Amino acid sequence: MSSRKKVLLKVIILGDSGVGKTSLMNQFVNKKFSNQYKATIGADFLTKEVIVDDRIVTMQIWDTAGQERFQSLGVAFYRGADCCVLVFDVTAPNTFKSLESWRDEFLIQASPRDPDNFPFVILGNKVDLDNRAVSAKRAQQWCQSKNDIPYFETSAKEAVNVELAFQTIARNALAQETEAELYNEFPDQIKLNANDNGRNRDGDNCAC
Amino acid sequence: MSRSSSLEDIPDQCKDLFTQDGVLLKACLGRPVTDLNSIGMLCIVQNPDQTKSIEWRPNDLITIDSDAQDQEWAVVNTIGITMSFAKGRRQRTLSGNITSDYATARARIIKISLDELKTFRVTRNNQQMQFSTKPGVWQTTFYFQHGNAEIFVAYLKNHIKTAKTRHDRNTYVVVEPNIESQVLNRSFAELDIFTENTTDVVWNLMSNLRQRPYETTMEAFSKLTDIVYYGNEGMNGKRDVSEEVADLLTKSMSAIEDSTTLTRTDEYEVISVKPTLPPRPSIPRGTPLSTEKWDGLQDTEGRVTEVEGVKQLIFRGGVAHSIRQSVWKYLLDYHPWHMTHAELRALTKKRTEEYFSMKLQWRSMTEGQEARFSEYRDRKSLVEKDVNRTDRTHPFYAGDNNPNLVILQDILMTYVMYNFDLGYVQGMSDILAPLLLLLGNEVDSFWCFVGFMDKIASNFDMDQAGMKLQLVQLQQLLLFASPELAQHLAQKDSGNMYFCFRWLLVWFKREFSYRDIMRLWEVLWTELPCANFHLLICVAILDAEKDILISKDYGFTEILKHVNDLSMCLDVDKILSTAEGIYHQVVSAPHLTDQIRVILGLPTLNISTSTHSESEQASTSKVENGTDRNERNMFGQDMDEGTLEYNGIQISIVTKTVWALLA
Repeated sequence: MSSRKKVLLKVIILGDSGVGKTSLMNQFVNKKFSNQYKATIGADFLTKEVIVDDRIVTMQIWDTAGQERFQSLGVAFYRGADCCVLVFDVTAPNTFKSLESWRDEFLIQASPRDPDNFPFVILGNKVDLDNRAVSAKRAQQWCQSKNDIPYFETSAKEAVNVELAFQTIARNALAQETEAELYNEFPDQIKLNANDNGRNRDGDNCAC
Repeated sequence: MSRSSSLEDIPDQCKDLFTQDGVLLKACLGRPVTDLNSIGMLCIVQNPDQTKSIEWRPNDLITIDSDAQDQEWAVVNTIGITMSFAKGRRQRTLSGNITSDYATARARIIKISLDELKTFRVTRNNQQMQFSTKPGVWQTTFYFQHGNAEIFVAYLKNHIKTAKTRHDRNTYVVVEPNIESQVLNRSFAELDIFTENTTDVVWNLMSNLRQRPYETTMEAFSKLTDIVYYGNEGMNGKRDVSEEVADLLTKSMSAIEDSTTLTRTDEYEVISVKPTLPPRPSIPRGTPLSTEKWDGLQDTEGRVTEVEGVKQLIFRGGVAHSIRQSVWKYLLDYHPWHMTHAELRALTKKRTEEYFSMKLQWRSMTEGQEARFSEYRDRKSLVEKDVNRTDRTHPFYAGDNNPNLVILQDILMTYVMYNFDLGYVQGMSDILAPLLLLLGNEVDSFWCFVGFMDKIASNFDMDQAGMKLQLVQLQQLLLFASPELAQHLAQKDSGNMYFCFRWLLVWFKREFSYRDIMRLWEVLWTELPCANFHLLICVAILDAEKDILISKDYGFTEILKHVNDLSMCLDVDKILSTAEGIYHQVVSAPHLTDQIRVILGLPTLNISTSTHSESEQASTSKVENGTDRNERNMFGQDMDEGTLEYNGIQISIVTKTVWALLA
């Protein structure tokens, strides 16, 4: 893994409409905030070079529309994702409740190689507002119950924790990417492991 | 999806009774994990011994190429395949091909005999189906990527008798397999609705290919070339192929000669002709409909009689800004053309009352009511979120506490009450904002918004079927009008045209300034010169970017970025003119297919099959007839057309009436 070839990390931002996906992306990439971002229609992405553990990597951050009915078209953009960022609005409990279905939906549509260990990061956004309705504790508990997903409380408006969150996103995405390279080198080994995982998942499905 | 009543059954072959594309294999006991998560086609098949099975075939069994001259086989995107099968299109060459992995892929077919099927269930919003042949184990799990499993289940129920279990309404137990199937099959065959099934063609080809690969390939090529360029006639051998070619050549659409090659092989003559569109006429834009003309077009009592003429003028040059307020109400079906001033006043009064009574419905909702009405609450909050981020940089909507935002909110909320089933969908605020800016009046804006929504409601379907259909139609138009680009996009995983989603959803609202979007919309509202002209606008924009997209060898992400970045860099008049030019190129092309005719709302030539004309795409027009008919269609029946000759093509631009109006 010491190869110095150019690394592109594909990151997908998901979450309900109006939680601040576009704002977070723009705060991270352009260091800017605006109240005037329009609702995202279709999909768009921004790229940024970051340094992770002395490696220069390019993050390609994808932003899609949040309204549920547009998700069937978002699928085309999930392919090959290295990390998925799920965003909710700490002032809107519904957006927190949706996290689970966003996660499930992503796993179904993106069909990552190893769904149990696919990197997610959760962002509770808009912590600058006073009318908070989802406590940090509640959010953390949920993240812990989901295989210890990293959780950050952010404000895209005031640039709180945005840099830190995206550093983690990049690091986890890079780990995923590195694993993928390993997999390609030893395809046979993986088959066995992945197969076991697949069976477990199957069991889960039956219980639903 | 397609249903089959295959005409030639090869004895040792299975017959597809029903197929559904875009089905992902999620889990299957006993299969290696590498087989999972691949896309394929889920079918109900009839076996040679008359028993039936559910069969899943991985997509890599079938490859489809969009150009028979190409040496390489390109797999086009799944949606493309789905729709092309569904429509039974022929204009794109379909050919089965044995890939090097054929045997491996073949081994990955999953087959479940209906005789053995014990139970199945449908979960996850009807998108997931699981099957079991012994109690307690779900052996296979499929995920329906496009749409859901409803239709598949409905067809499956035609072949087995099922009962729902008491404890779980999503689980079906098979009661008596295969009882009614014979009867049903016959009735389908007797109906004979589907004269040919492309899936069958591919499968027949494959089985032949195994036995005599060379001959079959050659035969396929020549047949398919016939279908593509000469329609059924060539296929049936009623007309000598070389005679057809000679005809085409005499028509001499410039480049054809260079691109025609005849290759003799031992037995078969392979003919390849690159179909060429006639040259693109450059049609100048006209001047906007002026106040004087508009006044002159109304009779003393205010009726507009020359509706068709007015629409043509607007199509040519748009509407002068000073009279847009008035004209848009007609274009958006708020004001009927034939009404007098007095009638319009009465109508306005009625519509005003109607509007405020609907507005009162939500305005009078108490906090308590709202708290217990989550669906309403969700919509309200979605509207609020979007209104607060709609065109806030435009002075009309800028600044804190802008009263126009309140009106925007009120209209959208009232629309939720007007059409609760549709509700509010993102994109609607974009559609409304220019209307309110122009009309300035809440009631007028609402009713004009209703009219606009009526034209594009399918864009906002819950299942996005309307958008998906348009994306497929756009791909088909592009393949016809700009094949080189269409092929490039297909190779770059972009054949699904998703990068045009924003254009289509809000009719280019995000791509143009207010001034330009007003011009574009009023032209599109005339519904001239054909249906789905907005798709030709897309083709025009893309065609202008063709050289960049191809020469820079842009891939999926670059294509999307490039297209997104065109926003606010487009010249509306140039695009309108190009789109009209492309329209004329397309309709006067000798190889115009019924498929394209259907998209553009032109009469198809295959009258006998009009009930399912979409699945009959193979016919070719007689050039002369086709052109005449299309041109007539363009302006309705009456008209003595004013024509313009361009490079030998007669183009109808305006009628005599309009010439007179223009004078």
